[in-house]
Formats: sequence, structure tokens, C-alpha cells
Amino acid sequence: MANRAQIPTKNSALIAMIADEDTVVGFLLAGVGNIDIRRKTNYLIVDSKTTVKQIEDAFKEFTTREDIAIVLISQYVANMIRFLVDSYNKPVPAILEIPSKDHPYDPAHDSVLSRVKYLFSAESVASGRR
Amino acid sequence: MEERHFIPESGGDQEPSQEAVEVENRREVRLQPGAEEKLVLQFMDSLNSYLSLSHSLSSTLGQAWMELASARHSMGTARINTSLLDLKFHPASTTLKITEYDDAKAWFVLRKWVSSEEDEDSNSTKSSELADDDDVVVRRERAKSLSVFGILIPPKLRAAQLSFERALETLVEMANMRSSFLYSFHQLHQEVEDTKE
Repeated sequence: MANRAQIPTKNSALIAMIADEDTVVGFLLAGVGNIDIRRKTNYLIVDSKTTVKQIEDAFKEFTTREDIAIVLISQYVANMIRFLVDSYNKPVPAILEIPSKDHPYDPAHDSVLSRVKYLFSAESVASGRR
Repeated sequence: MEERHFIPESGGDQEPSQEAVEVENRREVRLQPGAEEKLVLQFMDSLNSYLSLSHSLSSTLGQAWMELASARHSMGTARINTSLLDLKFHPASTTLKITEYDDAKAWFVLRKWVSSEEDEDSNSTKSSELADDDDVVVRRERAKSLSVFGILIPPKLRAAQLSFERALETLVEMANMRSSFLYSFHQLHQEVEDTKE
């Protein structure tokens, strides 16, 4: 198949998080927290003082690190950097938008679901394939 | 097997262009009888599973946050917050294994509470003694994770830990469903684009 995406196989990859404090604390309890020798973490806690630039930088960092397989991002945080999340299209790391305490998950805003929604649009049905 | 023949549009003696050969190769590989229907079914199934799992995740996380809030209420806000986290070197106990599945899909496997001393490649069948050792490792790693927040851990914090572990399992399943429907989507999208040409 032409232009096949390369899937990097790994035995021990990390789960990164960009979310509110309670979500990050909870997943750290589940053992996903990682701090390397350079004191770099695999999570960013988003609060009222976190800037959009910090969120963007964390997203770019986590999606380019080779040791990260999944990036969990609260959907309300993803909405702050929607253009960046929507333009991401690599298979790994997988970006999963998750709900937060104050912002329930909305499938209509999910980046990956929006991408596939077009398959059911009038334009694709009327493309004259059948 | 369905056969396709390439008929050049101009100049019967000309060699087909590289681009035309690539388009034909894609058609030959893709349009097998029933393959398109199979892709559509795979797409719909994995999309449906993804949406169901997202509902399940919302429910699990809601319970987890409630348990965390209860633990914070009993221990005090200062006892459960991120200021207690230090920046000392600390490898993750729960990681993922990524494999390539079905020639282009990523597949994620959750590896919970893996001790740093464990052999990553150990796939051999385990005796009951080794299985007991695994339980000991899991309990030890769980306790280590909880110890960040003190020595006396309330039951609600332990319950929150288990809920977040369940949420992780759901998230890994969601990642696999995402990988599956994106793969099917790209295959179908490619076919639509090629049909338009």
C-alpha cells in the first residue's frame, strides 16, 4: 500500500496527560506518572493560570516524543488548541479527548470523529459512486 | 479474484506513466469482491464501540472523581493535591506495549503495575508461584503509588485508584477502536478519491 504510516512498535511506552488536577492526580494514582532523569514529566496540569501557549507547547512536545503512545487531553483543554489537535493525524501517539468534572464529553467536538463525519455527509453520498 | 486491465488513454505504443501504474496498483490491491463491504462494517463496528466506550469512560471517571473528592474530604485538601508530587526520577509503573496489527494499525496493550525489575519480554507460562509473585508486585506498586499521599490511606482513595485503573483499561480499548476505524476510514476515503479520478 502506498504511503503507509509507520507504526513504531514498543514494549514500554508512556501515557501522557494534559488535564485538570483531579484527572491527573487520579491517573498518577493508577501508575502512569513518569519523571525522567532530566526531570521532564509526561503530564501537564491545567488550571486557571495555565496559558494557551503552555498547553500548545506541551501538546507539541508529547506528540513528538517517541516514548509516548497515548496522549489524554481533557476536551475543554483540547478546545483551547482545537486547530492544533485537528491538524494532528499520526497514528501514534493516539490522541484521546476525555471529559472533565465540569465539562462532559461531547462527540460533536471530538477531533477524530469530526474527521470521519464527512463519510456520512450529503456530499459523499451524492458523489455518484453508486 | 477480480481482474483489472490498464488501457492507456493516448498513444498505443507509449509506456504507462508512473502515476497511472500506481493508481492501477492501488485499484488491484483494494477492490476485491466483498472487501469494501467488510471495510464499511469494520468502520461502523469500531466507531460504534468507540462511542460506547466513551460513554462507559464518562461513567467510570465520574465515579473516580467522586471517590477522589470523598478521600480529599476525609484526608483534607492539603493531603491530596499535586504539590505533594516531587520531581525525582520516577519511571511509570503502568505503560503500554504497541504492536503493529493487520499491516497498518497500531494496537495498544496496557501493562499495569510493571515493576522496574521485571523482564519485559517474559511471555512464558507461569506457575502458580510466579502468579503469586505478580500479585505481590501489583500490591507493592499500588502501595508505592498511594504512599505519595501519606501512610494512612483511606478506603476511598484506594477505591479511586481502582476506578482510575478501570478508566485506563477503557481508554486503551478506545485507542484500539480509534486505530481500527481510522484505518478503515482511510481505506474507504482512498477508494472514494480514486473513484472520482
